[in-house]
Formats: sequence, C-alpha cells, structure tokens
Amino acid sequence: MLKITNIHKKYKTAEVLKGVDIQVAKGDVVVILGPSGSGKTTLLRCLNFLEHADQGEMEFGADRLQLASASAREIAKVRKKTAFVFQNYNLFQNKTVLENVTAGLILGRGIKRPEAEVIARKALAKVGLSDRETYYPLQLSGGQQQRVGIARAIAVNPDVILFDEPTSALDPELVSEVLAIIKQLAREGTTMVIVTHEMNFAADVATHAIFMAEGNIVEQGSPQDIFLHPQQERTRKFLRRILPQVEYNI
Amino acid sequence: MDINYQFLEQTFYLVLAAVPTTLNLTVTSLLLSLPLAFFMALVRLRRTRYVSGFVGAYITLLRGTPIVLQILLIYSLLPSLLHALVGTLGWTINVFDWNPILYAYLVFTLNTTALLAEVFRSALGSIERGQMEAALCAGLTKVQAYVHILIPQALVTALPNICNVTVNLIKGTSLAFLMTVKDMTAVAKVAASYGYNYIEAYLDVFAGYIIICSIVQVLFVFAESHVGRFRLIKQK
Repeated sequence: MLKITNIHKKYKTAEVLKGVDIQVAKGDVVVILGPSGSGKTTLLRCLNFLEHADQGEMEFGADRLQLASASAREIAKVRKKTAFVFQNYNLFQNKTVLENVTAGLILGRGIKRPEAEVIARKALAKVGLSDRETYYPLQLSGGQQQRVGIARAIAVNPDVILFDEPTSALDPELVSEVLAIIKQLAREGTTMVIVTHEMNFAADVATHAIFMAEGNIVEQGSPQDIFLHPQQERTRKFLRRILPQVEYNI
Repeated sequence: MDINYQFLEQTFYLVLAAVPTTLNLTVTSLLLSLPLAFFMALVRLRRTRYVSGFVGAYITLLRGTPIVLQILLIYSLLPSLLHALVGTLGWTINVFDWNPILYAYLVFTLNTTALLAEVFRSALGSIERGQMEAALCAGLTKVQAYVHILIPQALVTALPNICNVTVNLIKGTSLAFLMTVKDMTAVAKVAASYGYNYIEAYLDVFAGYIIICSIVQVLFVFAESHVGRFRLIKQK
C-alpha cells in the first residue's frame, strides 16, 4: 500500500538517509529501531513531508510521486491519508480535547461539526478519555495528552498512522497506558509505522521490524528474526546494549 | 493662579467633540498596520535573505527616529514630491487640497507597522514548531493553521504588547496637530490660544486621554482573559 524507494536526505553536510527503502502493506505494524541519530525519525517525517527528502519515490495506494518534487496538492493528499503521533504530543494548546480531535475532520476534511463530534467521541472513548472532552491540553497528564494525540490520529481514519517515539517523553508509569492503546490498535488491524525505543513493546506489536543505523537499513525482517536471531553484528550490538536479556535468550 | 472653570468645562466638551478624530486616527492606522505588520513578521521569521533584510532595515529606521521627525519630514516633503509627480504626469489634481489627515494616517501607519511587526514576530516565534506540524498532519492548510491554531495562541503573548502599542498610538496622535489635523490636542490648543487659558485646556486634554486610554486598557484586559482562557483555566 505504501512503498518508498531510495530515499535520501541531507542536512547541510550530514547525510541522514542514504537510500532507504521501506514497504508497508495494509494491516502491517512496522517498527523502526535504531540508535539515536540513525535517521529513523527523519525517515518517518519524510513519509508525510514534515521533512522534505532530497530524493526518493513514493507509491501510496494508486498514487506515485517524487519525494523531492511533490506538488503542494500531492503533499496535502498524502497528509490526509496519514496521521502522525508526535513524541511531545503537539496537541493544539488553544483547543479542548474534543476540538483537538475534530480539527482534522472539520477543517482538514470538511466534515460537518455534528458528524465530526460523533466520530471524535468514538475515538476518545477508544482511548478512554470520554470524560475529558472539555479539558484543555495543559490540564492533562502526559499520558492523557498522548492518548488524545492517538485519538486525533485514529479519528481521521487514515490509511497509516505514523508514531514518532510516542512514549519517549512520558514518565515511566504513564508509558504502559499509551502502549496498551497502540497494542489494541494493532490487534484491530490498524496499519502503523512506529519508531520506538520500547523493545518489549516493539517485539510484541510488530509484524515487521527494521533496524537502522547511520542512515541505512542494516537489517529487517520478522520481529523474531530481528530480536532473537539478528544476523548483523551492528544489530546485535544495539540489542545487547538496550536489551541485555536477549543474550541469554539466544 | 486662578482656574477658569467655565472655560475648563466648555473646552472639555470641545475636546470630547474631537475624540472621534483621535479615535479615527488610531483605529484607521491600527487596521492598516495589522495586516502589514503580520506580513512583515512572517517575512522576518522566514529569514528570506533580501526581503527580510529590507523589512529589518525598515523597522530599524522607523523605530530609530522620533515620530515628531517622521511627521515633520513626511508632512513637509511628501506633498511637494507628490505635487511634482502629479505635475510631470500632467494631471490636474491639487495635492495641497488633500485632507492632511491622509498624511497623518500614513505616518502613524508606517510607525505602528514597524512596532507591531516586532510584537507579532516575537509572539509567533514563541509558538512551538510542533503546533504547525501537528496542524499540517491533521490535514489543515497553512492558512487554516495560522487562523485556528497559531494566531490564537500567539495573541496571548502579543495582546499586552498590542495594548502598549495601541495606547502609545493614541497618545502619539496628539502630534497630528503638527499636520493641522484637528484632534483633541489641536482643538484644545486653539481654544486656549484666544484667552491664553492653556492650563485649563491642557487639563481637559489630559483628562480626555486618560479616559480613552483607560477604556482601551480595560478592553484589552477582557480580550486577554478571553484569548488566554486555555491557560488561565489551569491556574484555577
């Protein structure tokens, strides 16, 4: 459904992505792992043009476009077929919880307010925040804010949801409430691309795992392959450091 | 020292009658400045090399010179320049017949634009980049993002400064008499000049400005609590 070929991205002199390919089929949960600076967040942000790649091709459903020269209309179309969940939530500070979820429906997609509110309430119920509709983001905990962020993403019924380290900014005790929701979405067959450092969660939720380092995909495959039988030394080193028990599992 | 209370009272009504002129100058200049300043703030934030440099130079120039000087320069220079221009074009318009308030609009708009551009720049600059990104991801256009997300948030920081600029503008319009515009100050001065009742006249103008500026400040306080409600709620 979504296929990116040969994506390159450079910041001034630093080459962040050096020709990465990625494929996402409907219902996939693709997890992208890697040390910081490996380009995984940049890759994710290039998928919906928050960053503009220097080179690369995208096939999205029936559409085919060049990442470097995509028109504003093409970009808008991609953005409407995707949703993005940010590391630091980025809820609209001046909008209530309900308005945060309806904004993309009413403003972005021209859905009438009553209908948008019905959809938004369903999404909020799913993340367990029906009782917080009228709150402003500043009144919520980090975990609650991120759950609103997820509600905002699922409300627009996107083809794929992109998660950029959704739990990295959360206090440890709030991480599980967010991960539980993402797992639930995975069970329901939601297509997702997730950049994360939560290894147990990644192993649990992924249908496909990608390990990146220095702007390249080092290794990819099923979660079993990557977590239990990594072929590349670079992957093993990373997993050893971040997940010591893997050594004993092998 | 005797105060001529009768004159004080009569002149106060004269001053009040000139309030519309002062407000007209203020509101017109503000309305003209707002979009210009907003555009300039965007240019400055984008840092496009030449345009941004030009806008920066404009702001430095306007902020760095006394408004009296700007008035004197524009009011003595511009009509002659326009007259010469009109002459070379062969039109039969007499520039010197134009209402001097036009020049007042021009000076105050130019000045206020420079001040507001900086107010907007700092306010918009204080909004996290993620707000725009989240809006774009949600499928909003850039314009929608500004209208619904960024500007409402920027206003919270900007309003106290906009209030400052507005109040300063109101007071600044008192210099319009230099361009023979009959605002509150001009009317009082003229009235005073007949019988040399300057003290009374100035007291009247004094009261006039205090009343107007106080009302404006109260209005801004209301506006602030309205646009800042998403922040204030937390403090309750």
